[in-house]
Amino acid sequence: MSRNLVELIRRHHEQGASTALEVLKDALEQHGEITDDDRRRAAEQSGLPEAAVYGVSTFYDDLLAPRGRRHVRVCTGTACFAATGDVHIQALSDGLGCKLGERSDDGELSLAETVCLGFCHSSPAIRDGDTIDAGPGVVGRALAGTTRAAAEPVPQSVFEQPLLLAPAHDWTALRRAVSTSDPQTLLEQIKAAAVRGRGGAGFPAGAKWEHARNAEGERKFIVANGDEGDPGSYIDKILMEEHPALLLEGMALAAYAVGADHGFVLTRSEYPRSKPELELAATTARAAGILGRTVFGSDFSFDVTILEGAGSYVVGEETALLACIQGLRGTVSARPPFPAQRGLHGMPTVVNNVETLCNIPVVARIGSAAYGELSPGSPTSGTKLVCFNERFRRPGIYEVRFGTTMRQLCIQLAGGLVDGHEIKALQIGGPLGGLLPGWKLDTPFDFEALAAEGCALGHGSIVAFDETTDMRALARHLLHFGATESCGKCFPCRIGLRRAHEMFSADSPVDRGKLEALLETLELGSLCAHGGAMPAPIRSLLAHFPKELGLQ
Amino acid sequence: MTLSIEIDGMQAEVEPGTTVLEAVRSLGGYVPTLCFDERQEAFGACRVCMVGIEGARRPVAACTTACRDGMRIDTRDATARRIAAATVELVLSELPQPPPEHTELAAVARALDVDGGELRWPGEQHERAHDERHPYLALQHELCISCGRCVRACDEVQGAFALTATGRGLATNVTAGLDAGFRESTCVSCGACADTCPTDAITEISLLALTESESHAL
Repeated sequence: MSRNLVELIRRHHEQGASTALEVLKDALEQHGEITDDDRRRAAEQSGLPEAAVYGVSTFYDDLLAPRGRRHVRVCTGTACFAATGDVHIQALSDGLGCKLGERSDDGELSLAETVCLGFCHSSPAIRDGDTIDAGPGVVGRALAGTTRAAAEPVPQSVFEQPLLLAPAHDWTALRRAVSTSDPQTLLEQIKAAAVRGRGGAGFPAGAKWEHARNAEGERKFIVANGDEGDPGSYIDKILMEEHPALLLEGMALAAYAVGADHGFVLTRSEYPRSKPELELAATTARAAGILGRTVFGSDFSFDVTILEGAGSYVVGEETALLACIQGLRGTVSARPPFPAQRGLHGMPTVVNNVETLCNIPVVARIGSAAYGELSPGSPTSGTKLVCFNERFRRPGIYEVRFGTTMRQLCIQLAGGLVDGHEIKALQIGGPLGGLLPGWKLDTPFDFEALAAEGCALGHGSIVAFDETTDMRALARHLLHFGATESCGKCFPCRIGLRRAHEMFSADSPVDRGKLEALLETLELGSLCAHGGAMPAPIRSLLAHFPKELGLQ
Repeated sequence: MTLSIEIDGMQAEVEPGTTVLEAVRSLGGYVPTLCFDERQEAFGACRVCMVGIEGARRPVAACTTACRDGMRIDTRDATARRIAAATVELVLSELPQPPPEHTELAAVARALDVDGGELRWPGEQHERAHDERHPYLALQHELCISCGRCVRACDEVQGAFALTATGRGLATNVTAGLDAGFRESTCVSCGACADTCPTDAITEISLLALTESESHAL
């Protein structure tokens, strides 16, 4: 991230100016496309040079597709692939007479690809304007113009007293912390609870906070990473939309512990409800004296800004996320410096995943010892939300214990697959996680146990592929996603993922030696986990389903 | 207090904050780079400066890795060299024509024994698109490898902010201003972008004319 650009934006940010990305998004909402006048206006308002604004306007998916008066987006996520093998995409495009990424000549209709809408429990999903419809018959309804809002799942907990999904929220933890506890005590409590990041990497939250707390900076920030881009995952979606106050409380506690006075949540544009729900919760909390200059009447001051992304998977990576929040191109920066040293606007910044932050009030409420015992027999403390795709009989979100076997999760909890189908493989934790074959369901759901199988716990999504799945088509699907979403910064990922996709897209057999050399280049050469871990599911396919890949 | 490190068996003392790349080069050692320019902040994009570090699980990028006391660096580490060479091979595969012989990219390919004639992963290449609207600066988009050096030269060295990266994934490229040519941007014609470009994607017109006449002569 250019220090000079960050400095140019910071001055405008301090005066409350919109970011370039916000101005461009508004322009698109207002007149369906982005003109050079919009770019000049974005530059003027945000402080970003015109060229940099042009760069932003060519980076994000949402800004690239011209919009008709009716804008239809078809989900091309992995759960939708598992449900239809991607035939819903072609059917919709043919039926509408509009190609992906195009707008009809009369400006009436446009169709775009989107990954993913977070309705993986009832795939396939289509977004028609701001209405998200999903499930059987959705293509027909989109063609007939009769789309309707699909139902959201009702999360369940295996705990008698749900922890993260408690129905009522009372801000007790924050009230108690600011009135009777000091920041250092809270930090020590989070460290003692050994809260591991829920976003994928599993990094200890307490260690991250401590770095930020000890870093020099005139201001510090808390950033909630709500860019839940993993196709197949809709956990943070539910937390942001159904439990927004819990997230805000977690952010305020983090801010109290590290000495921050402001927080940002970056939500996804694919989840149109998230930003309004969080803003409503923030407004309510401000009115009650919970957020603002004197939190619960104390001298601790904390407020939040809710921002929405514009369609980019890699923006879920923390340095890219910070770039997006500042309205820049969402590309990855080399670390160090880590955000805890130099993050948003050059200041020490804690970036935590939404679910991680939602765990903080739980720890503060029940204590680190009780938190450590929530998953007996597992090295991981706390609980985890998991979500299942439409192939399961009882898809949805569940709060579970770490260490539960995949069999218990998939069969007992989610009921196995529909219509007597069998689990051929599971993809756990998003596109950067390996595939667990159906004959390894006794593997425990935990960081180390899944890593030993070449898989990842990731963010906790569980996408099942049934026995009808064409594994070469799956490789092609995953690599299409990988190549399309590469931010374009590091060379192995930018070129290598496209080459891997091309190898599986050709009609000819895939040369195994060349493929493995390419995967190694991606794994060891890439700057971030996108290029580094996109090979993981391909490695799994090579290990468990080599005959189905058309290798030579 | 200085740090004691070892590079390819040779002992050295460096100041804290020194990167592995700076340390190797200060001793006269060779590590290939494409996105690095010593006048600019390290970028970490090309992944060609990979070196081995004793005890590390994998090679690291020398440009963005700080030296630590006791660090033992192997610039000839076989895995690091393999990854760097494969990455350069990928870069050559995106260009519709080999880079001119005198460019940094061509020199790095030679140093890593990458033969552009036998690519393991051929595929989509950049489309030819030339912007020759400026009297002194020409941009050949198909030769751009998105190293970001021109953008950073304009930002960090000149402070003109006339250039930007565009697009994403394989389509990532570079342009001036609102993509209407250098003259319609805040470009001050300083030539810093052409000076740093490792592939001749951006050239000063006189130089471009010279290389074209060279290639015609061949």
